[in-house]
Amino acid sequence: MKIKKYKVVTSTNALAKKIKTPKPWLVLLAEKQSLGYGRKGSAWFSPKGGLYFSIILPKSKIEDLQTLTILAAFIVAKVIKENFNLEPFIKLPNDVWVNGKKIAGILTENVVGKEVKLSVMGIGLNTNIEKFPRNLENTATSLKIELGREVNNEKILKQIVGELKNQLKTISE
Amino acid sequence: MKFKFKIENKEYEIEILEEGQGQVKIKVGGKEFSFGEREKEEIAVAKTVLPKRDFSKKEIKTPIAGIVSEIFVKEGDFVKKEQKTLLVSAMKMENEIVSDFEGRVQKILVQKKQEVKEGDILIFLQ
Repeated sequence: MKIKKYKVVTSTNALAKKIKTPKPWLVLLAEKQSLGYGRKGSAWFSPKGGLYFSIILPKSKIEDLQTLTILAAFIVAKVIKENFNLEPFIKLPNDVWVNGKKIAGILTENVVGKEVKLSVMGIGLNTNIEKFPRNLENTATSLKIELGREVNNEKILKQIVGELKNQLKTISE
Repeated sequence: MKFKFKIENKEYEIEILEEGQGQVKIKVGGKEFSFGEREKEEIAVAKTVLPKRDFSKKEIKTPIAGIVSEIFVKEGDFVKKEQKTLLVSAMKMENEIVSDFEGRVQKILVQKKQEVKEGDILIFLQ
């Protein structure tokens, strides 16, 4: 798995869309994002400690990408449940909640002409975030807050990307 | 063959005479001009090459149903190939619709927040 690591970026999705020759399954990983965003441009709080990455998806049919995006929420939830014994709740289509608060968000962006030219799936998972600002503390949580300990970001990243690869293979067959 | 005609009230008398061997003599107001009947004057006309134009329909369509959440161009704008024109937000994805052609935006058929169906035409380019 090829992972490009960055200390800080505006947004891993924005960066991924600028790559001239995007290779499928390339992962862009940032320690923090200065302008992380979710659907409809809503901000995604992205301080150091969280897991923020984008995956260049292989060229696929738009319906398959749609299915994969829904599956991505299930995959993130599954990884959380299996690794940490928490009870995640999938808030369709793109969010994962734990104990009534948002813990992860997924945003797939496509660049489309007559066909899909580029697809990028961005995932933000609140892993080792100690505290949220006051305006978010009632609606957002992190694995660290829920578990009382730090988790291994890279291990989680590899599990999620591995599962996505398997799922897309199944969908497009 | 003789004939007369007037230009700005001045009368001219023209006589056309055949001289033989394909020569023609024309007398205008007493002055004589000789022409070879088969002579033709080569007029150099600058060759102009019209730019190749693509008259096929330049329509930008949405490949997915959703809501137009952003419009990045306005009517009259020149759009380059691969330029981002609109953003269509579907339930699960955001789709940047880029132009497959270059041309001027003739008509934008949708508005922000408008719902669109798969295959709907969003923009006409000239």
